[in-house]
Amino acid sequence: MKSKINGIVILALMVTAGCSSRSAVTAPEASGRQAPSPKISSPVTPPETVSLPTASAPSSSASLSGYGFDQWQNGPLGDVFYDFDSTVLSAEAQNQLKQNAAWLENNSANKALIEGHCDSRGTSEYNMDLGERRASSAKEYLVRLGIASSRLETVSFGEERPFDTGKGEDAWAKNRRAHFVMKK
Amino acid sequence: MQFFRYVVTAVMIFLCFPLSLFAAERGEYIAIHKEGSGKITLALNKLDVPVKEESRLAERLDAIIHDGLDFTGLFTMISPPINVKTNNSGEKVVLNFGALDSVGAAVYAGGAVSNTSGSITLYMEVYDTSGAKLLLNKTYNGNPQQLRAIGYAFCADLIELLTGKKSIFGSKIVFVSNKTGFKEIYECDFDGHELRQLTNSHSISLTPALSPDGRYLAYTDFSSGRPALYIRDLSEGKISTIGKSGISIDPGWRNSREVATTLSFEGDQEIYLIKTDGSISRRLTFSKGIDLSPSFSPDGNKMAYVSDRNGLPQIFIEDLPSGQVSRLTFSGRYNTQPSWSPAGDKIAYTTWESGSEINIFVTGIDGSGLKQLTEKSGENESPSWSPDGRMIVFTSSRQGSKKLYIMQSTGENQRPLLQSEGEQMQPSWSKFCQ
Repeated sequence: MKSKINGIVILALMVTAGCSSRSAVTAPEASGRQAPSPKISSPVTPPETVSLPTASAPSSSASLSGYGFDQWQNGPLGDVFYDFDSTVLSAEAQNQLKQNAAWLENNSANKALIEGHCDSRGTSEYNMDLGERRASSAKEYLVRLGIASSRLETVSFGEERPFDTGKGEDAWAKNRRAHFVMKK
Repeated sequence: MQFFRYVVTAVMIFLCFPLSLFAAERGEYIAIHKEGSGKITLALNKLDVPVKEESRLAERLDAIIHDGLDFTGLFTMISPPINVKTNNSGEKVVLNFGALDSVGAAVYAGGAVSNTSGSITLYMEVYDTSGAKLLLNKTYNGNPQQLRAIGYAFCADLIELLTGKKSIFGSKIVFVSNKTGFKEIYECDFDGHELRQLTNSHSISLTPALSPDGRYLAYTDFSSGRPALYIRDLSEGKISTIGKSGISIDPGWRNSREVATTLSFEGDQEIYLIKTDGSISRRLTFSKGIDLSPSFSPDGNKMAYVSDRNGLPQIFIEDLPSGQVSRLTFSGRYNTQPSWSPAGDKIAYTTWESGSEINIFVTGIDGSGLKQLTEKSGENESPSWSPDGRMIVFTSSRQGSKKLYIMQSTGENQRPLLQSEGEQMQPSWSKFCQ
């Protein structure tokens, strides 16, 4: 999509992600919500950023790396990922949402649409409901951090719009997400 | 459109036979079939034509009737012996019942078709071969474009005569297909013929369901940017929506005036009853978490649905008058997509097994008599009963991509319903047969 500029960065991330996830997730069961590149993202998401106005103003490459960013999300608001059949926000997901909240605080004219997505397993009607609960979980967290509810819209796409159309846990993990779309 | 009325059948038959004889014959055949003695062996003869030019017409109609009857799984279809007709001199044709009996035919059907300046006339006779008794003789009319309807009208009469129940002829199946690149709603006849696209929203259209009287199509549509319930009046083309925030998905009709669907405008995902104008009639579920996929008992007093109130999704039954809720499924961790049988005694649903296998099960409404209908064939989903309860249409990925399949409600004779590009899914069989 709009990832031409950062193609090389992304390619590098993908390679890294592939390696790290393979080594991290050895169990066949669907417990691995591996973020695209958890290992190299540590500088980006200190939990304290919520109260730091400076945490926003992304100068592209810095904010494009890390947990919430991949070829389908290049900012400024990062996506969050979920375990199988879960709407629970992991520590990494919470960190990403705090970062998103900080950005939204500093860009008060912007609104966001939060799309809930699921992997293709299970039945599609159930996944439509699950997707909405994921979007809602992300929205509720942001509202608790002080973002006005009216600035955050949610929608579910269930399993209808997968990001990665492949099969297997690597692809599924990328599709279990709340995806942020900026709205003016 | 069908143009033959049972009144006509009744009048014609009563003119020919004393009522008591007919009732006795009918009862006998119903009894034979109910005993589960297997299929009825039917000798179906090729249609006669008055002139050679019409032999192609007769062949087409032969195939329509043969394939239609064969599709139901009720018959063992055999060709009559060559010497089935004796004394073939003059006008009078006499059937050789001895010969029919010797090849094991329980029922014989045959007749003639003619085309008089664009008007097709099919005349059919049906005999009980053991008693050499005429069970049905009837004339069907229509234009050449209605050839399939003409053939099916006879099939419907024959099955109702032999089984005492309405047949599937005249019923429709609605489903989702992505063959244009978008998920749109389509319909076809019960046997996969007469494929027709019903939506063209270039968005995502999902979970179609026809009202029991066939007047309305309810489905979920993303045209507005979010999943919303559309209730389309198929005769007038008018669409009603609910106009609430949040999602509305997976409708199930309670009767021809009320459809239930999941809405989330109050925060939690709950099932509501909606009138055909889109207004909310009342809320049906009150549990925290997902409540989804309503399917009603034939009298509309009970609703099977999916709830994840205990963690993973299971099927529950709510008694609407009392509001009492009981859990139906206990085996399997992930049970969804309930479909209540037309007779009211069974519920079909799907269990997601380990790996990427999903299977269809049928259980009694008290949870007894659990039976697995599919196995080791990929993802088998979205079971929906035929209006006579004898068959189930479903989605299967057994050949790779998702396609529509059909089986007897016992699980026997699983086969593809139609050949179409792309993936087909979420079939829903109409309650009506006209």
